[in-house]
Amino acid sequence: MARNGMVIELDRCQGCRACMEACKVENNTPQGNYWMYVFRLEEGEYPDTKVRFMPRPCMHCDNAPCVKVCPVQARFKNENGAVVVDWDKCIGCHYCVVACPYGVNYFNWKDPEKAQYLDWKDRALASVTGGAAPAYQNPDLMGRYGQERRRVAGGGHLKGVIEKCSFCVQRVEQNLPPACVAACPVQALHFGDLDDPNSDVSKTLSRKRSFRLKEELNTQPKVYYVGQSQPGARAHEIEAVKARR
Amino acid sequence: MATQTMVGATPRVSLGFYVWIGILGLLVLQGVYSFLVQTIEGFYVTSLTDTIPWGLYISALVFFIGASAGATVIGLLIHGFGRTDYLPLATRAILVGVVSLASAVLFVMMGVGSIPRAMLMPWFWNNPTSMFTYTSTSYYLFGLLLLGELYYTVKINRGSATARDARIAKWLAISAAPFALMAVHAVTGSLFAVLKARDFWNNPLLPPHFAVAALVTGTAIMLLVIITTAAATKRELVGRETLAHLGGLLGFFITLAGFFDLFDLLVFTYSDKLATNEAWHFLSAAHWPLTAVQVLGYAVGFVILVSGLRRSVPWLAAASVATILAVASYRYNLTTVGVSMPLYPFIEHEHYVPSLVEFSVTLGIVALALLAYTVLTRALPMEEAVPAAGGAPSPRDVGEPLRRPAGDGDRVVPPAEVPAR
Repeated sequence: MARNGMVIELDRCQGCRACMEACKVENNTPQGNYWMYVFRLEEGEYPDTKVRFMPRPCMHCDNAPCVKVCPVQARFKNENGAVVVDWDKCIGCHYCVVACPYGVNYFNWKDPEKAQYLDWKDRALASVTGGAAPAYQNPDLMGRYGQERRRVAGGGHLKGVIEKCSFCVQRVEQNLPPACVAACPVQALHFGDLDDPNSDVSKTLSRKRSFRLKEELNTQPKVYYVGQSQPGARAHEIEAVKARR
Repeated sequence: MATQTMVGATPRVSLGFYVWIGILGLLVLQGVYSFLVQTIEGFYVTSLTDTIPWGLYISALVFFIGASAGATVIGLLIHGFGRTDYLPLATRAILVGVVSLASAVLFVMMGVGSIPRAMLMPWFWNNPTSMFTYTSTSYYLFGLLLLGELYYTVKINRGSATARDARIAKWLAISAAPFALMAVHAVTGSLFAVLKARDFWNNPLLPPHFAVAALVTGTAIMLLVIITTAAATKRELVGRETLAHLGGLLGFFITLAGFFDLFDLLVFTYSDKLATNEAWHFLSAAHWPLTAVQVLGYAVGFVILVSGLRRSVPWLAAASVATILAVASYRYNLTTVGVSMPLYPFIEHEHYVPSLVEFSVTLGIVALALLAYTVLTRALPMEEAVPAAGGAPSPRDVGEPLRRPAGDGDRVVPPAEVPAR
């Protein structure tokens, strides 16, 4: 039983948002849903300013508030410690959204077909895709994923349910790192078993001072930040990507 | 056969009644249309976002749950404190409770992503650590309690009740009060209070605050019910003294609510949390009109209700309306400010203004509640038939201890003794 977590080296991150893109491609998340999000922050006043970046996946808390409050047990932790959602159970009550201190949950506001970035009915697109079926219609991607009953990544999402980063359960089972980790060009993201002293994450944590977001709430997040201090109230977000559809 | 008098005989149906029903029907229809738009198109037609997922629907849910407290206040006055002068209100109060609770449940359903699953899943997958589980269970149980109360009260009104029925009605009414305060209103408050991610809500005072606010709403609505029924039927349901008494009670509840509001904000201000500044920002900048309505509403209501003005029906009506607006503003501010406060110190505030669809659905449910109340008050006997001298006594026997008459058992009072309506 692994206890998978993530370590993010803030001093390496260059804010390219390749992790956000990789997550979207891997998981076919609807418009406006960012299971991985990178804050671009500016500190100080012009001309004495500093820009920094902070990737924010789901924290996969050991003491997850969303798991506690979900009325129908649609939220649970799998055997690797990832907090995952059973889309077939979720009633879309938003209680997990308001209970989460990190803002990592996203509601599916539209039908999956209408929430695509591409217009799959556009004939011109067929010359590019070779007539491939859109992901939301691909029967191979609509199946249930093992015990999690989570739809396989890239598959059809359901309107009216709440979803979030799953640490790419479908990749981790094949001993692959999550898509965001694999895509990071500067290896700022590390993934592995926090309980294994020889894992990449444990070694990185032992080398550098770390912090976790909102530790005072005792949610025990499994995402650690190293290399820089926590952004404070003097920072403000720039180039925000609006979460709304 | 002795001459018998009837209290609460159904008045002749006037043109105004049909106009009223017609307006409500149209409002319900436009609400249904908006609901269908929201269901078919998805929630993107609302102003809700992933940052602010709770808005007008949840505020309305909390308000209507509070409104259902009217049933428990009147039931407790009659059966717990022996105030028989409130008897003509008993059935109406229960009906207000039933209709308010049903409206609250409808608002829950308007806010969930999948209504069929929301109705089905909790029966199979319940999470004992979720406050949502306890609120929904308490709503079901409270609904059953109120329906039971309504059943027996209507039976009494129809003259077909036994002494046993009256005893059941009495104990249902008495047990509804603590159940509603603790298991319905306070647990609804806990739904918000347990969320440590939200500083504005994460407060142990919130559950009792919710219970007190519910008493204020319920009592104010019952006052309006008395006044509007008297105006519509040209017949006073209760005497002026009773009206003034209920007004005084509302004044007391407003004092309690004001006490909670004051100390809630005082403690919050000293908490030194980042959220303190944010909350003040929202309450004073974006939400100031509603904050003003809340403060002025309570103030106006309080001044009227603790002074001699409460003996005047128009002033009493004004106090009730001001109080209801104040509580509605409090509920809306609490819900939307709590959820609007940024989760990180470095991200921008997001403001929420309900969309036309949300307004339309809300208006539709409010109209449906009024329509259901109007129709049911005509379809069901609202007051107990009072026999003339020499007739059979009421099985309710309020004011005296309700004891089973020796050898009388559960005898049904024959229609010959108690007049049919």
